[in-house]
Amino acid sequence: MTPAEEAVLSTLTGEDAVRSRDRFRVHDARRRGSRWYLLWLLVGPGILVMLGENDGPSMISYAASGATYGFGFFLPFVLITFVMAIITQEMVMRVGAVTHRGYGQLVLERFGRVWGWFAAGDLLFTNLVTLIAEFVAIRIGLAYFHLGAPVAVALGLVLVLFTLSGGRYWRWERIVLGLAIFNGLFLVAAIMTGADWGSVGHAIYTFGPFPGGSVKTLLLLIASTIGATVTPWMVFFQQSASADKGLTPADLKHGRYDTVAGGVLAAIFGCGALIAGAALAGHGGANIQGLAGAGFPGALAHISGHAVAIVFALGLIEAGAVAILTISASTGYAVAECVGAAHSFNNRPSAAAAFYVGNAGVAVIAAAIILIPGVPLLSIVLNANVLATVLLPVTLVFVILLANDRELMGRWVNSGLTNVVAIVIVAVICASGAAYGIDSFLQTVHVIS
Amino acid sequence: MSEQEELEELIEYLERDQLVADRSVPVPPARLSRPAAIGLWALRVFAIILSAMVIYVFIAQL
Repeated sequence: MTPAEEAVLSTLTGEDAVRSRDRFRVHDARRRGSRWYLLWLLVGPGILVMLGENDGPSMISYAASGATYGFGFFLPFVLITFVMAIITQEMVMRVGAVTHRGYGQLVLERFGRVWGWFAAGDLLFTNLVTLIAEFVAIRIGLAYFHLGAPVAVALGLVLVLFTLSGGRYWRWERIVLGLAIFNGLFLVAAIMTGADWGSVGHAIYTFGPFPGGSVKTLLLLIASTIGATVTPWMVFFQQSASADKGLTPADLKHGRYDTVAGGVLAAIFGCGALIAGAALAGHGGANIQGLAGAGFPGALAHISGHAVAIVFALGLIEAGAVAILTISASTGYAVAECVGAAHSFNNRPSAAAAFYVGNAGVAVIAAAIILIPGVPLLSIVLNANVLATVLLPVTLVFVILLANDRELMGRWVNSGLTNVVAIVIVAVICASGAAYGIDSFLQTVHVIS
Repeated sequence: MSEQEELEELIEYLERDQLVADRSVPVPPARLSRPAAIGLWALRVFAIILSAMVIYVFIAQL
């Protein structure tokens, strides 16, 4: 062994050893030409990030759009937002696989402490409030089975602690993937409502019928939906998870398959929630909004039967639970990266205290808040969504800067075409987010009604 | 096979810059062009103004 190799070996950590075992399997599958096994080994972060974004509040929001406007415009619109998410998240995956570093770490090191801590602070706050909404979504699902908030809190926290207990990224990822596939319950619910699939196909093909009612309300709904296409936690999570999984430039093709597969599944399941909600259109569904979405399973029971309501309620529990796991993970990555501590599931808790405390701590705090009587949950959640949306441009600008950073990315920088498409997408998301935030402000100061 | 030998073999499957020791060395700060620096300052102002608006809305709703 050469002195250089000895020097490398002397710096090896337990995290390196665990990751190298995972990489051995990838090398072996590639050497043997086992295409499907290789794909199985390399998928994960993309599917998780997309199905994690199909969280409780999003699914309630899709169902509310269906209940208010029917199929029409919003079905194809949802599909387009996922195309935008796929293009953005592909850049994130690529930066993680090429640099082997998380988003928080790279922003801090490349653009300074102010931006690094701003990004982490923004993420911490919005994640905390989003987690509150996820626990509420689980509570809404459990309420159909006559179970209350303490059960929702216990379920969420037990899942977080259980998935953190293995000391291995692969184990965490596979457990969460196993749970995430139940996001498909929304598609099952849509099928069980006996939807008119001809109308669904017509709506996707024609973007019609265009919804009636208040144009301002509709524009605000469109702006908020576009603004929420990508959220800060998605960027932190997929880049850090890609690095933690050990993806390399040789895996970029599979990383893209993973991201596209996640986007397609999430789009189909999101449309499922919308189609299930559309069963309530014309039956008072327009009055079931926001956190009052607690009425969705009950309303579906009246119109489509108890079986549909049970599937929808279970879907909400799954959506909230998976989002709690992925959003908590993104918090752990961000906190540990910004303080320069170990940040990997491949470490034992004793070797990566900041990562594990950040991960579990944010879930514990969110759980505690929903148990406090009289807390204005609706106001907290709505304003958190607005804040996450208006601050999103900051996150996305850095994604584009990093993906074009030749010093870091070498030949894997964005192509000209990717840049054009990405910049247009970011501009649309920024404009929608800003419009949404400014509109909320102007309404509050009574400049507009 | 001893643990040391196993490590030596396994390490072949990691790229050098994937090792924790390499990842913990900070990358150098970006050299920003003047337009990029101005753009980032504009972004900072944008974020502060819009954050203030949202926080005001939240407080007003309490």
